[in-house]
Amino acid sequence: MREEAIKVTDLRKSYHGKTVVDGLSLSVKTGMVFGLLGANGAGKSTTIECILGTKQADSGEVSVLGLHAKHDRRKLFQEVGVQFQEGDYQPEIKVFELCEEIACLYKKTADWRQLCECFGIGEKLKNAVKSLSGGERQRLFIVLALIPNPKLVFLDELTTGLDAKARRTVWKSLEDLKKQGMTIFLTSHFMDEVEALCDEICILKKGKPVFYGTVEQAKSESGCEKFEDAYLKFSDEEEGIGA
Amino acid sequence: MRTFTKLLKTELKLNIRNMNMVIFAIIMPIVVLVVLGFIYQEKPAFEGAGYTFLEQSMSAVCTISICACGLMGLPLVVSGYRERKILKRFRVTPISPVMLLGVEFTIYVLYAFVSMVLLFPIAMLFWGVTLHGSWPAFIGSWLLTMVSTLSIGMMVGGIAKNEKMASVIASALYFPMLIFSGATLPFEVMPGVMQKIVSMFPLTQGIQLMKAASLGQQVEHIWIPVVVMMAVTVICTGVAIKCFKWE
Repeated sequence: MREEAIKVTDLRKSYHGKTVVDGLSLSVKTGMVFGLLGANGAGKSTTIECILGTKQADSGEVSVLGLHAKHDRRKLFQEVGVQFQEGDYQPEIKVFELCEEIACLYKKTADWRQLCECFGIGEKLKNAVKSLSGGERQRLFIVLALIPNPKLVFLDELTTGLDAKARRTVWKSLEDLKKQGMTIFLTSHFMDEVEALCDEICILKKGKPVFYGTVEQAKSESGCEKFEDAYLKFSDEEEGIGA
Repeated sequence: MRTFTKLLKTELKLNIRNMNMVIFAIIMPIVVLVVLGFIYQEKPAFEGAGYTFLEQSMSAVCTISICACGLMGLPLVVSGYRERKILKRFRVTPISPVMLLGVEFTIYVLYAFVSMVLLFPIAMLFWGVTLHGSWPAFIGSWLLTMVSTLSIGMMVGGIAKNEKMASVIASALYFPMLIFSGATLPFEVMPGVMQKIVSMFPLTQGIQLMKAASLGQQVEHIWIPVVVMMAVTVICTGVAIKCFKWE
């Protein structure tokens, strides 16, 4: 049996009495691409932050690569790359400076120039980060998450703001990384992307897991031919639109 | 060490690109010196004094950049990084808060150092300023003043909730210290009660010590300013690291 990269048991988190994550358990095996899905505000980002230890869960157990994110922070983040949903940067920083600054924090790193090439921003190294387009910046933040050459990478809404071609480029790169054995934990609003990349998914609805399994299982369980319909059925987004 | 120098290089570049500190910590003290120089030239500090007014003011002029660095630059850059969630991004990397604060701290040490190194030759060349006391004593008291003031800034930046909060606290420290600690208004002309109150500022202690060292005067109870500034440094640094907030 493969090792578990992430293990979450009965995670709960609420803000000011409002429950955001409600009893979530999941297990991500090494080398797997795991997708956490759900509408805006379903608790995806909060879940990621509780796993990473940047938010304190109210209860539940979380282990990442067998470590505790808070207690073993510096050891764990040698091996884990993270792309947050809203990434920010120093006001005047240039692309290569940001890459250098991140790269110098790790013992072993991937070649960030090559990564920038792969993600189509190789020509922008000398540009100010703030002058990049939204899509270019998004790809830069994926590059930053991959600089440590991580065993496990978290990508929160990885392709939001990208055009169709750029999304395909990102998929292709992620598939390559998966082949090399990288474990990927992602959230996304694009079901074609989830179908193409994810081995296993979990759909959240108001903080509660409403489906857990493979894309195929989601389709058969819901009786829908298309995965997007299955997703909407589980997450009840359709009702919201119809009402 | 490799991480430290690389981070320092990038952060220093960004800081200079921003220009604020170049203006407030490097150019402004020179402007003050030049204005004082033109007004007082080589006049003695008072009738029969063995040193000029400008020589007496050198210590205070040197602390203008220390003030700008420690009470403006450092707290605002750290709290700004927190507010912009740059610290949050650093939190999911292996960097330690000590390294992060250390890099920013060093940047402002460099500014304060460059400022002092520029001020003395200008004063010496144009208005014949000399250091009557000993250089090691002066440098020592300058170091103590600088480190203690920067540590206050590091504490404010480390624990302030957001940039606005840090800027309010920074202003509340910066302006009184700049005006009343003797950096601009001479300590000697203040009434006795006021002297007692402003003596609570570590910067006042620092300026008095630097002044005595540069003029070659004997200081009674030299241990008081030294202990005050060392205590401030230890306490503020401790709080900054212990209570450091990523978000």
